[in-house]
Amino acid sequence: MLGSLLQRLAAWQGYFSQMPRYYGAQIRGGGSAVKLGLDGRCLSLPEDSLDILVCFNWEKYLEFEHELELKGESLVLFENNPSTEFNLPETSYQVDFSKRSHEVTGSTIDKNIVALGVLLRILALDEDQVKIAIDEDEELKLLKQNIPALEAGGQLFTDFSFPELRLSPARDNSTKLIMHGNAAMARAAIRAGCRVFFGYPITPAAEIMNEMQLELSLGKGVFLQAEDEIASSGMALGASLTGAKAMTATSGPGFDLMTEMLGLATAAEIPLVIIDVQRCGPSTGIPSRSEQSDLNHAIYGGHGDAPRVVIAPYDMEGCYRLAIESINIAQQFQTPVILLSDQYLGQTFISTSDEFLRKYYPAESAKRATNTLDEYYRYRLTEDSISPMADVGSEGLAYQTTGLAHNEKGEPSFDFETNQIMHLKRWSKLIPLCHRDELVKVLGKEESSRGVITWGSSAQVVLETVKDLGLQDTIKICIPELIHPLPERVKGFIKSTEKMLVIEMNYSGQLHRYLRSQLDLPKSTEIYARAGGQTFRRKELAGPITELTR
Amino acid sequence: MRKTADYRTKLKPVWCRGCGNFGILSALTRIVLPDLGIPKHKTLIVSGIGCSSRIPAYVDSYGINALHGRAVPIAQGAKLASPELTVLAIGGDGDLFSIGAGHLPHVVRRNIDITCIMVNNFVYALTKGQISPTTPHLERGESPFLSWQLYPPVDPMLDMLSYNVSTLSSFIAQGIATNVPHLAGLIGEGIKHKGFSFILVLTPCATFDPPFLFSLLKERASYLREGEPVELPDSSKEKPWLHDPDNINLALRLAESPLLEKPYLGVFFRGR
Repeated sequence: MLGSLLQRLAAWQGYFSQMPRYYGAQIRGGGSAVKLGLDGRCLSLPEDSLDILVCFNWEKYLEFEHELELKGESLVLFENNPSTEFNLPETSYQVDFSKRSHEVTGSTIDKNIVALGVLLRILALDEDQVKIAIDEDEELKLLKQNIPALEAGGQLFTDFSFPELRLSPARDNSTKLIMHGNAAMARAAIRAGCRVFFGYPITPAAEIMNEMQLELSLGKGVFLQAEDEIASSGMALGASLTGAKAMTATSGPGFDLMTEMLGLATAAEIPLVIIDVQRCGPSTGIPSRSEQSDLNHAIYGGHGDAPRVVIAPYDMEGCYRLAIESINIAQQFQTPVILLSDQYLGQTFISTSDEFLRKYYPAESAKRATNTLDEYYRYRLTEDSISPMADVGSEGLAYQTTGLAHNEKGEPSFDFETNQIMHLKRWSKLIPLCHRDELVKVLGKEESSRGVITWGSSAQVVLETVKDLGLQDTIKICIPELIHPLPERVKGFIKSTEKMLVIEMNYSGQLHRYLRSQLDLPKSTEIYARAGGQTFRRKELAGPITELTR
Repeated sequence: MRKTADYRTKLKPVWCRGCGNFGILSALTRIVLPDLGIPKHKTLIVSGIGCSSRIPAYVDSYGINALHGRAVPIAQGAKLASPELTVLAIGGDGDLFSIGAGHLPHVVRRNIDITCIMVNNFVYALTKGQISPTTPHLERGESPFLSWQLYPPVDPMLDMLSYNVSTLSSFIAQGIATNVPHLAGLIGEGIKHKGFSFILVLTPCATFDPPFLFSLLKERASYLREGEPVELPDSSKEKPWLHDPDNINLALRLAESPLLEKPYLGVFFRGR
């Protein structure tokens, strides 16, 4: 709560920020932490180690020590002394937030707000602006009701004479928007015309369902919490048959259950968008921690040869843009689309400019069949392998389809030639996607023979590390947002690279294996892949990236 | 013959001679759909996997022969997105009561206006004769019910009627595939009923059921008529009552009657 309030007050004054959330398996209470990186110039990743730590409980702190690393000059404000021997930085202060809270409000519950009062002074956020924000922002009404606690915090700042860590002023002071990737995807779906959503609660994807429920309630659309993920994906598929742009969202274990529906969507060529907010696997894994280990399942999951489209954003703007893109592609190509997000992207609160919301995004629909005198063939073979689709309910076009091998009409057919042709149709209709260059980001020095390939939220750390090392003009970086089918631009990138590094957060190097299956990789290809559970740090990636330049 | 041709596709069914599914297909294409006058493009039939799940391919409406056990969720999604459609979900006893059973309590509690037709032939026929949750069994250690099986199937039979009554499906009926007009009447009423309708169809499997099973069912079948006394099985010690499909408690008493002793045909319960 302390983090969210501070992020919001800073956003009012124009600061960009990222605030990843760390939490355990507890339902309420238990350890939880946030790391807030404020930046007055642009959206950037929080540094590895902290400038300021506010700690209410050292035992819980230890759960997140990796993410909340201290350095010699960190300023530490803590409530109680650590029980074990703990090497605290020089500028560490024990502060009775709870006691102060109790003194001014009669309850210790406002200790967060007291701490916020201290932080506002340490960071020297403009006091008048803070007042205006508290006055005007509905989301800050908690502060409005607790001004004494906030002021008590300000008083503590004076009493203790903490060092000031004045923020450099924001480059532009326009109020920034606060959102996480899960919410961005939900809003994008609405923007793309999705009015039908079926879900089932799962960490860390539940916010998408919650958001869709708000958006689609009160007659604005169809929202239903299904009995399981088999049902949620099945309902989305059923709705899609009638022409609705339907979607569902889940995480790894739920995605497993959707696999059979995914196969049917491929076989019967039914548009279906599945968002998978990845968490640590296999099985239940670590539900609240990020990992990029569902790529194999997204590309290959299920029996039979079942092509589908796999898309993975690496930042919040991408979450928004690519959710729209996924709905468009599902419609246009009559195919399932897997949108791979992850816990970091999904749940990290971002404060940034709302420019991406104001952009124009086209909305695509399926190639629709029209009622003519000719007999309607649902799977008619066409030049682009995409057959005009009739929505259930359209007059004169009634057809019967099936997950069985079928002919152009949709009738079950076990004829070998027909089966082969239908496979060809389903695979080849996706080929034009390979030429969507804009779905691949290539950054750094494009002519370089040294290149990094990375994907998903890991790409953010790669980009920051390259910048830290000053290698933007030495190496090139490729971030495929469209992963399957593999874009030509990625192949071009790899072919023009002599020394390559693949960075991803999963144990077996799933992207690396996938790339190897598609084309020959440079002889000198290194992989930096490890299990999730801890976010990548810049100093962790600095080694392998520096090695690439040698 | 009425407008059969209008509602039958040209495909020839894959079923065996004497299969009860022919009766169900007839009920739909010769009576229910023509009589209700629902345009074929306003009807969607969703099925699972199994012999009866082939039905959508033979009915000239929109149809999808989908996944084993998943007709009910797909049908719900379609109905919610396009409420103007008439949506039917068709599956067998294995499909709806074994692999897909988890979906049933939820469609019942949501009371979504789809009509679910469960074709009960007491056996997994497409995979050639394995027991289903509704396979009747004899006492443990007695001779096997299914003649070719090495071991007697001793799993207790799942009573789908009691199940539906106890979960309060808003329309519950049981018909028999060999009485097409009566079955058509039930399906028609189920479609017109606003809310979730569950229609069980006792269906002979000509290949894997022992012949005496269906002759026994036919012989002992008793038609339910509103306001008339119900025929109770010989084993019953209760006094007959007048059939009242508005009364869920009476429906439960009917459903509790052992199927093989007294298969009731008609509307068990009609909620509001």
